[in-house]
Amino acid sequence: MKPTFALIRTSAGTSPVAIALGVAILAGLFLFPNFVQSPYALHIMILFFLSTIQGEAWNIIGGYTGQYSVGHAAYFGAGAYTTMILMQYKQIPPWYGMLAGIGVALVVSLIIGSICFRLRGPYFVLASIAVAEIMRLSAMNLKDITNGAEGILITEIPVFKIGETIVTDFLSKVPFYYIGLVIALITILVTWMVQNSKLGYYFQAIREDQDAAHSLGISLPIYKNIALALSAIFTSLSGSFYAVYIGFIDPPTVLALDISVQIVLICIIGGIGTIWGPVIGAMVLVPLSEALRSNLIAQMIFKTGLTSEESGIGTFLKENLAHAHALIYGILVVVVILFMPDGILGWVKKLTAKKGRG
Amino acid sequence: MTVLLQSLISGILIGGVYALIGIGLTIIFGVMRVINFAHGDILMVGMYMTYILFTSLGIDPFVSIVITIPLMFLFGAFLQKLFINRMQGALPQNQILLTIGLGLIMSNTMMLIFTSDYKILSTSYSSESFNVAGISISSPLAISFLITAAITLLLYWFLLKTDTGQAIRATAQDREAAQLMGINVRWMSILAFGIGSALAGTAGALISPTYYIFPQIGGIFTLKAFVITVLGGMGSIVGATLGGVIIGVAESVSAVYISSGWKDVVVFVLFLLVLLFKPAGLMGKSRM
Repeated sequence: MKPTFALIRTSAGTSPVAIALGVAILAGLFLFPNFVQSPYALHIMILFFLSTIQGEAWNIIGGYTGQYSVGHAAYFGAGAYTTMILMQYKQIPPWYGMLAGIGVALVVSLIIGSICFRLRGPYFVLASIAVAEIMRLSAMNLKDITNGAEGILITEIPVFKIGETIVTDFLSKVPFYYIGLVIALITILVTWMVQNSKLGYYFQAIREDQDAAHSLGISLPIYKNIALALSAIFTSLSGSFYAVYIGFIDPPTVLALDISVQIVLICIIGGIGTIWGPVIGAMVLVPLSEALRSNLIAQMIFKTGLTSEESGIGTFLKENLAHAHALIYGILVVVVILFMPDGILGWVKKLTAKKGRG
Repeated sequence: MTVLLQSLISGILIGGVYALIGIGLTIIFGVMRVINFAHGDILMVGMYMTYILFTSLGIDPFVSIVITIPLMFLFGAFLQKLFINRMQGALPQNQILLTIGLGLIMSNTMMLIFTSDYKILSTSYSSESFNVAGISISSPLAISFLITAAITLLLYWFLLKTDTGQAIRATAQDREAAQLMGINVRWMSILAFGIGSALAGTAGALISPTYYIFPQIGGIFTLKAFVITVLGGMGSIVGATLGGVIIGVAESVSAVYISSGWKDVVVFVLFLLVLLFKPAGLMGKSRM
C-alpha cells in the first residue's frame, strides 16, 4: 500500500462535517495574522507550532515505534547549532543552514541509533540521555566552534529573496508564523502518511512486541533507525526554526535534558501514538506555561482576591511564580500518568465511548 | 606521581558519596523495578534541608544528618505510598515519566521557595585541608567519606543480618516468591523507597558544604546515579558501592589529566561503553 493511497482512503472515510471543520480551521490559521496584529498572540502561536513539530517528531519514534528517547535535545540542538554557526560565522542564510542541520541531525541519529538500539527499555532511555548529555557538554567545551557557554547571538538575518523580489526581511513575527505553520502542517502530514503506510505498521509491530516483529522478518535495527531518522529530521527543523526565531542559543536552552523531557511531555500529555495527541499536548502546555511565565496566573490569583498584590505572599508569588513555569509540566505529567495514561486524547475517547454505550 | 595519588584519593573520597547515591537508586530498583528519575531531586531536597537547618538553627551539616535521615526516609515513604505505588506493574516508560514529573515538581517547588540563586553553605572548615605525606586532603570531603563509610557498613549489616533486611533482599530477588513466603512486599517497597531517599538525602547533606546549592542541581546527580548503578549492575549493592568509587576516581583523574570541562563527558562515554559491552554491569547478573 502506497502512503498516498492510504491518505486518500482515510480522508474518504471521514465525515464531510469533519472535513469542512478541518478546512475552516486551516483557513483560520492561514488568515490569523491578518486579523490579529498583537506580537504576543503571534508569539504564542509560533511557540504552539514549535511544540507541535517537536511533539509530532518525537511521536514517530516514541509513540509509533515505542522507543522512548529522552535525548531528543540532541537533534534539536544539532539543528539549532548548525543553522546558527553557518549563519553567524559563515554568512550562510538559514534556509540552507536548516538543510545542513537536517544532515547533521541525520548523522547524529544514525550514530545514536547504532549505539542505543542494541539496548531495550530503561537501558535505551538511559543511553539516549547519555548521548544528549555528551553533546551538551561538547557544545560547552568546543568554544572555537560553538562559542561555549556564551552561546551564539544573531546579529542579522539575511533578507529572503527569490530572484530580485524581496519575499521577507524577517523584521516582524508574521514570516515566522507562516514558516512555523507550514513546517507544523508538513510534520502532521508526514506522521499521517507514516501511520497509514506499511512503514507505520512495521513501527507499530515493533512497539507492540519487538521479538514477534523480528520473528516475522521485520529488521529491528533498520526500522528503528528509519523511525529515529524521520524523527530527527523534524526535531532538527524545529531546532533551526527556534534558533532563528529567538535569535539566541546556548547549551542550556537547546541541548539540556529539560528540552528532551519537554518534548516527551507534549506527547504524553496529549496522547501518545496518535496524530492529534501532540497537537493537543502543545495546545495545553504552551498557554499554561506562558501564563505562568508572564505572571498571568499570579494576577489571576490577585483578581480572585485570595491574596493581594501588596501582601507578603502576593509579592512573593509575583516575583517567583514566573521562574517556576516548568512546575506545570511536572504537575501535569503526574496527573496524566496516574489518571489518564493514554493522554488527554485517550481519556476523552474513553469518556465518549462510555457515553456511546449508554 | 603525587598528582596522580592526589587525584586518586580525592576521587575515592567523593566516590564514597557517589556510592551512597548509587546504593539508594539500586535498592529502589532492586525491590520495585522502578528507575527513579527523581533521585537527584531527592538529593537536592536533602541539600536544602541541611541548608535550612544550618542557616536558621545553626546546626552543623554533618550533625544535622541525624535529623535529615529520618525526615528524608519519611519523605521517600510518602512519595512511594502516594505515587509510585500506584504504578507497580505499569509500563516501565510510564514509571520513568512519573518519576521525571515528581522530580520536576520538587525542583520547581524549591525554585518557587528559594529562587534559583546559588546558595553557599559555608562552614568554618569548608575550605580547610590537611596534609598526609605531601598529599593535601580536603577536610569536609574526608569527614563526609568517614560518615559515608559508616552508613554503608550499617546498611550492609542491616541488609545481611536483620530479618527486615533479608526480607528486602528476598523481595528484590523474587517478588512473588517473597510474597508467598509471607513477606509483606508492599511494606518492603515503602521501606526500600524510604531507605533509598534517605541515602540520597544524606548524600545531599554531606556534599552541601562543598557544592553550590540550587534547585536544578538534581539532574546532574540523577544522571550520575544511573551511571554508577548501571556500571555496578542494576540492583547490586556491592556493585553500586564499587561503581561510585570508580566514577569518583574516573572523574577526578580525568579532571586533572584531560580538563575539568570534559570530565563528565569521560563519565558518560564510560557509561555508554559499559551499556554496550557489559550491560549487566560489573556485579550484575545478566537481566537484559
